[in-house]
Amino acid sequence: MAQTVPGRTAPPQTTTPQTVTSAVPRPWEDPAATPFVRVEGVTKRFGSFTAVQDVSLDIYRGELFCLLGGSGCGKSTLLRMLAGFEDVSAGRVIIDGRDQTGVPPYLRDTNMMFQSYALFPHLSVEKNIAYGLRREGLPRAEIATRVTDMLSLVQMQGFAARRPHQLSGGQRQRVALARALVKRPKLLLLDEPLGALDRKLREETQLELIKIQQSLGITFIVVTHDQEEAMTLSTRLGVMTEGRIVQTGTPHEIYEFPRSRFVADFIGSVNLFDGRIAVDGTDSATIACPGAGMDIHISHSVAGTVGQAVTVAIRPEKIEMLASPSGTRPNAVEGRVEEVAYMGNLSVYHVRLDSGMIVRVNMSNRSRYDDDVPRPGASVVLEWDGSAGVVLEG
Amino acid sequence: MRGVSRHRPLLALIVLLGFVFLYAPIVSLVVFSFNESRLVTVWGGFSTKWYVELFRDSQILEAAWISLRVAAASASIATVVGTLGAFVLVRFGPFRSRALLSMMITAPLVMPEVIIGLSLLLLFISMEGLIGWPSGRGMMTIIIAHATFGAAYAAVVVQSRLAETDLSLEEAAMDLGARPVRVFFDVTLPGIMPALISSWLLAFTLSLDDLVIASFVSGPGSSTLPMVVFSKVRLGVSPDVNALATIVIALVSLAIIVAALLMNRRRPMR
Ligand SMILES: Nc1ncnc2c1ncn2[C@@H]1O[C@H](COP(=O)(O)OP(=O)(O)O)[C@@H](O)[C@H]1O
Ligand SMILES: [Mg+2]
Repeated sequence: MAQTVPGRTAPPQTTTPQTVTSAVPRPWEDPAATPFVRVEGVTKRFGSFTAVQDVSLDIYRGELFCLLGGSGCGKSTLLRMLAGFEDVSAGRVIIDGRDQTGVPPYLRDTNMMFQSYALFPHLSVEKNIAYGLRREGLPRAEIATRVTDMLSLVQMQGFAARRPHQLSGGQRQRVALARALVKRPKLLLLDEPLGALDRKLREETQLELIKIQQSLGITFIVVTHDQEEAMTLSTRLGVMTEGRIVQTGTPHEIYEFPRSRFVADFIGSVNLFDGRIAVDGTDSATIACPGAGMDIHISHSVAGTVGQAVTVAIRPEKIEMLASPSGTRPNAVEGRVEEVAYMGNLSVYHVRLDSGMIVRVNMSNRSRYDDDVPRPGASVVLEWDGSAGVVLEG
Repeated sequence: MRGVSRHRPLLALIVLLGFVFLYAPIVSLVVFSFNESRLVTVWGGFSTKWYVELFRDSQILEAAWISLRVAAASASIATVVGTLGAFVLVRFGPFRSRALLSMMITAPLVMPEVIIGLSLLLLFISMEGLIGWPSGRGMMTIIIAHATFGAAYAAVVVQSRLAETDLSLEEAAMDLGARPVRVFFDVTLPGIMPALISSWLLAFTLSLDDLVIASFVSGPGSSTLPMVVFSKVRLGVSPDVNALATIVIALVSLAIIVAALLMNRRRPMR
């Protein structure tokens, strides 16, 4: 992949620096940047059922944007509206400055990779990939070279003559990707592109997908229900539930600064402490959490009213577990180890506080020996900094 | 379990008797078509002379030729019309009167043939009176009549195939730049082709076999093979009819086997 990338015409070097090590552009932070894809207040109703509700999104050229959400939340429906398979019930979709309302799929500059791959069973791999180019009426010779280039890009050179049913799941996935990419779309839509692969293959393919996306400079929108996959792949992601996008941001923003209980809970694991604002100063705050039997100190203002119900979300890896209090952190609480789940790289501890609440704590397993790790039944102290918790509206 | 195994010999006997009951007449018909003797009940030695005689009988040859043309034409019309009906039923989503349409398309499958024949005859007569077409009764009216009930079978066969085709294949073709007509010929048609072939064969066979409806709507000079055979047999069974029947049995079995193979052929997994 380091040499020339086949199938790529004059790459847009000037607009998108493509070295992975260089600073990644963040066009969404630039108020002057024009979005490449604009979804404006899009709603989709099937009869009386609303599958997608008032979704607005701006996606920029060269992004790999993930739509993340549980099954049935409307991800595929949103993607199908971008591809033109479903009409919007309200709102509009603008791609590259052009309103797509009423534009049928065969006239859009988008291509889609289907969840089922949708390879034509009666055509060979080669003919499947060539199908879109033949519809453009390109000369035979050009079709042949572009198909060959694409086959080598997805490392399927030896399989041109096979039929789809003679391929493994991973190979079919590659052919489906090649068939969608060979048209050089401005925007590639991928519906759970790795959903049917087993775990190991999926992880390898994720990295490959990023490489291909960066080398071709095509904007990708990927639908997935797998949060790890979304975090690995995306420049930014949008978290969906019940037809709405509840938060968009970089993987880092979504993980560290969730704006709702739902997002905090959906991405990764989290300890949620329900409480009320007791003190709200200019650069610190205290949240009284009777459920945890403690006051949680926050090292910034929470901009709320005293007495307001809030939830403090603290990730398990942000909590320190000690045998005795260190006295250096503003938050400390005693508890007893209830369960330990050994995961290899880290262990997850379930610690029961005196109030009865269970807190999850992650500790990385730095030593190969387990002599001094806390065992179930051990008394421990949990500590965390004032910046560890995110305060969410109750 | 024990009960079943105890009754096994009895069961086997019943099955055997059933098959004998069904196939003995056919087997004896085939055997006696090679009979030297004119008497259908006495074996006079092996001979193919009734086949030779059959091919000298111009009335039968003419009727066979009419039957084949009627069957081919009506099967073609039936397949096209039935496919259109199947598309409306499967693809146009839930619309008002869908259930009614579905019922009406399949009604000829269970309607008594006499009623179909009689109603079509009345239709043709009044159409001739109103618009002058079809003028008189003949091959055209038989073709139309056979196409109507053939279409019902075709609709059922194509409908089941269409219901299990993967819509995302058509969407993929459209996504890659194919307009709807192109999508139909590139993706949909190859997908339902086995169903189309088996509907055609089914309609062809049913048309070739029909006596009742054809008797209602045929006119002078357009007697189909079953009609000629039926009238010949009423004058007394002659061995050349056995020869004819043997040929028809062979053809029909072949058609049914091909149709069944096509219907059951597993589509390659995607
Ligand atoms: N053509 C349709 N008719 C009716 N309901 C639909 C249709 N397509 C999707 N839905 C419904 O819309 C919701 C969202 O579906 P989808 O977008 O496929 O979810 P997912 O996020 O799993 O991809 C589901 O409840 C689904 O049943
Ligand atoms: Mg989906």
